[in-house]
Amino acid sequence: MNDMIEAVRLVLAWDVLIAIMASAVYGLVVGSLPGLSATMATALLVPVTFYLSPIAAIATIITASAMAIFSGDIPGCLLRIPGTPASAAYTDEAYAMTRKGQAELALGAGLWFSAIGGIVGTISLVVMAPMLAEMALSFSTYEYFWLAFLGLMCATLVARSSPIKAIASMLLGLLFACIGMENPAGTPRFVFGVTNLLGGIEPIPALVGVFAVSEVMRAMVTAAPPKLPDRKFGSILKGQWGLTKKYQWQMWRGNIVGIIIGVLPGAGADMAAWVSYAMSKKWSKEPEKFGTGHVEGLVEAGASNNASLASGWVPALLFGIPGDTITAIAIGVLYMKGLNPGPTLFTERASSMYALYIIFVLANIIMIPLGIAMIRLASRILRAPRSSVMPVIILLCAVGAFATGANLFSVFLVGVFGCVGYVMERNGYPVAALVLGIVMGSMVEQNFITSLIKSDGNPLPFIERPVSAVLASLTLGALLWPAGVWVFNRMQRRRAAA
Amino acid sequence: MQLSDRITGLFLAGLGLAAAWGGSRLPAVPGQDVGPAAFPMLIGGGLILCGVMIAFGIGHSFEVPEEAEDERHSSAYGLRALLPPGLLLFYALAVDHLGFMLTAAFIVASAALALGAKPKLAVPLAIGAPIFVHAVFAKLLRVPLADGILPAFW
Repeated sequence: MNDMIEAVRLVLAWDVLIAIMASAVYGLVVGSLPGLSATMATALLVPVTFYLSPIAAIATIITASAMAIFSGDIPGCLLRIPGTPASAAYTDEAYAMTRKGQAELALGAGLWFSAIGGIVGTISLVVMAPMLAEMALSFSTYEYFWLAFLGLMCATLVARSSPIKAIASMLLGLLFACIGMENPAGTPRFVFGVTNLLGGIEPIPALVGVFAVSEVMRAMVTAAPPKLPDRKFGSILKGQWGLTKKYQWQMWRGNIVGIIIGVLPGAGADMAAWVSYAMSKKWSKEPEKFGTGHVEGLVEAGASNNASLASGWVPALLFGIPGDTITAIAIGVLYMKGLNPGPTLFTERASSMYALYIIFVLANIIMIPLGIAMIRLASRILRAPRSSVMPVIILLCAVGAFATGANLFSVFLVGVFGCVGYVMERNGYPVAALVLGIVMGSMVEQNFITSLIKSDGNPLPFIERPVSAVLASLTLGALLWPAGVWVFNRMQRRRAAA
Repeated sequence: MQLSDRITGLFLAGLGLAAAWGGSRLPAVPGQDVGPAAFPMLIGGGLILCGVMIAFGIGHSFEVPEEAEDERHSSAYGLRALLPPGLLLFYALAVDHLGFMLTAAFIVASAALALGAKPKLAVPLAIGAPIFVHAVFAKLLRVPLADGILPAFW
């Protein structure tokens, strides 16, 4: 109880409340601008969190990401351009509703069910995390190695790209993580005489580069999105209670699927939305209405993507394994603020954990009034020309990278990673897998080498303990799954040809 | 900048080979079988395998087609993508000499004009954005942004 009272006191501090409000507005604006993803919004916030208290820093990440995921629905609905990849699954449906004159209903459903999804996801975090934390206390380096490896493999499995390219991206990220002296012997590795590389590649310049700079690079060579027609909106929340009652089952299914996908290391809000929208269509009583402006899929997928956001924090807080790219950034912030992820976080820093839960709930509650205001302002904000937004972003990338260590080499690294991210995306290599490799590289290596030293080079102890055996088979299954699918598809094609 | 799978695959295989070779030359830890070489060699091996498979087109059927670049323009138009990293490089090299205000103004103006902004938008943006960013980062967050030849007026 004392921990709970302490948590409320932590959240009600003026700096935390200001951080929540400011990051909410920031998240709503950035998420609503086409091409600027929730991950990018969060990555650009990291340098600012350096200067905030631990709880205020985490509050900015939680609030900005939740708001950005919702407000990504706004340009998707009004312009048919998803603001964030998490909205892409149901953009066509929402836009079809706008064309039918139901923009208010579509945007209201996005807002209402996002808030519900966020709160249900938070409840899952509150219930699941302490239970898993007790179990995780008995984990050794073998289990941690397999967990981290499984996380990396899941990231490659869920990528909407070739699994081989996703694995290659992940390996490239791990290779970047090898740079520097953070290795078992403290030997400089792959530094090529550059002193600035001795400390290794920091995840923040890499994240800002691949998510923000590469986006500006893409804007340089693609046509600007169309202008939003001027329009006034009616009541945003009208009819939402009716939809909640009518599509109760779909809403809960979306929440549960979102939670499961969020907990899965490496899979995030965008995957949750795609899976939930597909499930909604498959099991709908009116599947023929999908694609013509039917709200059912929006209810399920909107709830799902926000539910996954909160549950994505479960592996991040417990094992330091990111649930998605946003929690990958959050892990960096947690370490920076002395809240090192791990099961002991729930016993030794219980008040901070309760504070985190309260922030999640608070962020999803204030999402409703702020979201309504954002929808009403959308026609003005969405009219901001790309030529005025992107230059400010490139400037923020430079200053943000510099702020992380007052080192201009970080600015150079941001540029390099921008190029790497741009080339990779243009050629079908998922950058999320690269980022997860960079973030988790030292953890995977540390647990791998420690386990090998403990076992005296013998691979058997890696699979002897029951939990590590289960995790090992899941990881190998994830590794071999694409090969199985490929062989199956090939055999089917041959059979069809014959 | 779209390249064929053969080129990217072979590049990755080459990188993997270099990583494994570089890793194998790292000094061992006395008295231990595993040292700093193990992980890079493992990654290198994985990259070689993936690179060769990509070069042979394995897994290509899983891919979603990429959105095409603006085809109304020549292929040299694609080089515009290099402007943002170029501006970041310029920032890293020039900010200590010119100062934050001038460097930031140049970056914002160049990027805005390259994205098709008219001078009546680019010029106020190039003046306003550095002042705003300086106020937030240097004044509020105490980030030591260089003064150079034009210090901020506060």
